Amino acid sequence: MTLKRMVLQMGQGTDIRGADSTKAAERAVRDALWRNNLQIADVLGQPRDSMDIQVTIGAPRSETIDKDAVAAVFPYGKVEVLCEEGGLEIATPGRDDSTLLAHAAVVVRMEIPDDNSVNIGDGSDAK
Amino acid sequence: MSAGLDRVILEMGSGVSLRSGNYTRAACRAVKDAIYHSSLSFPRELGLNIEEDLVVEVTIGVQDPGAVDADAVRAVLPHGKISVSVVKGGLNVPYPEQGYTTVIASAAIAAFADMSRFRGLDNPDGSVNASSAKGSS
Repeated sequence: MTLKRMVLQMGQGTDIRGADSTKAAERAVRDALWRNNLQIADVLGQPRDSMDIQVTIGAPRSETIDKDAVAAVFPYGKVEVLCEEGGLEIATPGRDDSTLLAHAAVVVRMEIPDDNSVNIGDGSDAK
Repeated sequence: MSAGLDRVILEMGSGVSLRSGNYTRAACRAVKDAIYHSSLSFPRELGLNIEEDLVVEVTIGVQDPGAVDADAVRAVLPHGKISVSVVKGGLNVPYPEQGYTTVIASAAIAAFADMSRFRGLDNPDGSVNASSAKGSS
């Protein structure tokens, strides 16, 4: 079995008031995930929790992001959260506040059998 | 065209034509919104022919399906055997005071491939290879 990248999903999230990087990051992950119905685990005949998920957040003040909160957004899978400086922070005029923008890049990897030459039937029982 | 194939992913998006009432433009934007928030790695990783082995079914929802140029929508998709169907859906937001209607189109793009030969041979019950387990951080 070899771990191979199946899909990259991208999203963007904001925190309009309060400048909470974790909130923006959680919303970016939701934006990335809930645009797609990913059935790769089902069609590979593997449990969805076997998905190897690596999410990279690009946001201002990335060191303040609660990685557990970001990981909790994912409904299933083995999740690893990485945070780096990025996104955007725009000051709000006339107010001691700012608007944050965060990006999320979610890479989903799956274990793929090394020997693909053997066809295990038409797969009708797996659907 | 997708009969017997596995639906690997369904991508969704929406697009608008703000003032021109152009249903095709709204549909094309909805397709771009749907496809450009993800990158499908699996065809290349698994050695599939991205033009021959990937079947792409596009469904557009707008309030006036007859006004959508399906060929223009098809041209937005970069790969695969593409089919486009247009159904009644989406949303129109009339602005009678200014005499125009904002057109919102919805797009759902399903990618199909034959994945049967990639199903786990050594774990028919779907159990996970423990060596690949990784803790969350």
